[in-house]
Amino acid sequence: MIWKQLQGELLKLFARKRTYIGFVAFLAVEVLILLLLNLPAVRKAITRVIEQAGYPASEYLSGLTLAFLILLWSVFLLGSLYLALVAGDVVSKEVEDGTLRMMLCRPVTRGRILLIKLVAVLLYSLVLTWFIALTALAAGLLHSGAGGLFIFAPMERIFALYGFVPGLVRYLQATALLSIALLTIPCIGFFMSCLNMKPAAATTITLSVLFLDTILKNIPYFESLRPWFVTARMTAWVRVMEYNVPWEAIAEDFVWLFAINATLIILAWQVFLRRDFKS
Amino acid sequence: MIRIEKITKRFGGRLAADAISFEVAGGEIFGLLGHNGAGKSTTFGIALGHLHADSGRVLIGGHDVASARSEALGRVGAIYEAAAFYDYLSGWKNLEFFVSLSGPVSRRRLDEVIELVGLEERIGDPVRVYSHGMRQRLALAQALLPDPRLILLDEPTEGLDPAGIHEMRELIRRLRDEHGLTVVLSSHLLHEVEQLCDRVAILHQGKLVFCGRWQDADECASRWRIVCNDPSKCADILRPLGVEDAQEGCVRLPASLDPADAIGALVSAGVRLSAFERVRPTLEDFYMERAGR
Repeated sequence: MIWKQLQGELLKLFARKRTYIGFVAFLAVEVLILLLLNLPAVRKAITRVIEQAGYPASEYLSGLTLAFLILLWSVFLLGSLYLALVAGDVVSKEVEDGTLRMMLCRPVTRGRILLIKLVAVLLYSLVLTWFIALTALAAGLLHSGAGGLFIFAPMERIFALYGFVPGLVRYLQATALLSIALLTIPCIGFFMSCLNMKPAAATTITLSVLFLDTILKNIPYFESLRPWFVTARMTAWVRVMEYNVPWEAIAEDFVWLFAINATLIILAWQVFLRRDFKS
Repeated sequence: MIRIEKITKRFGGRLAADAISFEVAGGEIFGLLGHNGAGKSTTFGIALGHLHADSGRVLIGGHDVASARSEALGRVGAIYEAAAFYDYLSGWKNLEFFVSLSGPVSRRRLDEVIELVGLEERIGDPVRVYSHGMRQRLALAQALLPDPRLILLDEPTEGLDPAGIHEMRELIRRLRDEHGLTVVLSSHLLHEVEQLCDRVAILHQGKLVFCGRWQDADECASRWRIVCNDPSKCADILRPLGVEDAQEGCVRLPASLDPADAIGALVSAGVRLSAFERVRPTLEDFYMERAGR
């Protein structure tokens, strides 16, 4: 029965046009980044960095490299926006529209209703992240063809070069970790959505939390507090690109994220169970 | 079928339900009446587990809604406040989704209910193109699925045109007469309630001020209309007998006074009577008397 209910929840999510705005926007952004990367000045700058390291730019300025750059630049900005938008709506929009009232007339527990909503929004997050990563890869390969992977992420202090196959494996590993790390955004949005507030407020507060966290994290004064910032933990996925992958450190980051998500879900659960629903 | 036991609910400092208790037996059509803010929706909300009562409980089929929600609501259908649907989905998909939260239902049963509410030709259309009346019918269809024994209808005729109201009334009557359902409904349309309901409960400022067959209430049984040549003399004669003035030229006789004695007293005092007849007040008269502003 729960599978049927989850199917219904997914149908509601994926039958709405606004659900696809995120997908369409990402496609547009990928094309835009690809165009930017194609500008002579940008190409020259990347070529120079690769050649200064003693590697042939023709081999490493490839589809894989472009895909990684697209992923790195677009996912946090737009990913946060669309995941917060969908997660912020998931409960509060139904409260506002009155459809949650209709659901609560049924002999189903509030916990079950919340569970199917949570699973649906987490699945949406996973699908969107993989969509971004795979379309970025397809766009990069179509544009520049196969080749080595060149990684230059100064914030994370990573500089690495891989052949096509090991590069592709790293890219897919990074995507898998990214898709899990990004689940924190829908968890924050989901928590806000369970509070007694309008959907727009739930989305705005979720985004504000993320942006504030990102800004503070990047202020040198707070360098020593960096591990306490959520977005710092969420960038753990990039570290899979290091030559010697620091799996222990990555695992620690994910344990932190898991703890934050679990706390938010438990709080959301408690709020939802205790709330009165009345227009 | 459903028993409300001393439910109390406060919203901030306002008492929305004050120890309300009543019971509805199987096969009844029961009306819940009251002004806006009287506590009707709060009562429904607690009965459906949307609101948490501060004290008291609601038992449906012997199960406490608060502690055994699934069992209590297992055979309950409801329209609570304004019916809302996913506008971008068809009527059929909406029904499928809401029913999935109750349990499995056969396609035959879905078709049966859709036919019962008269939506068979438009069930595949997106709900956004439905008229208000069609939405209400869809709401009733979801309340009738999968197979309830009790339905709670909060203002089921709200916003419907006269034809729609008539149709809904007939449908509710059929649900009881042909399908044996118990119906608890709230409405502002007293004429509809009068025609439909076996018993009513009247709420006023969160309190239950009446529950039962309104026709049997004292003020209904003892109301008489007197037409005579000298109304003030008539009043002077009847007052010592315990007769009270009521609205619109009517009087209320105490249960101990035989109407024949009242007539005798008037005639022997020389009052010329043109009419002395029992008045059957409407539910509206009764309601206004019990819950009048």
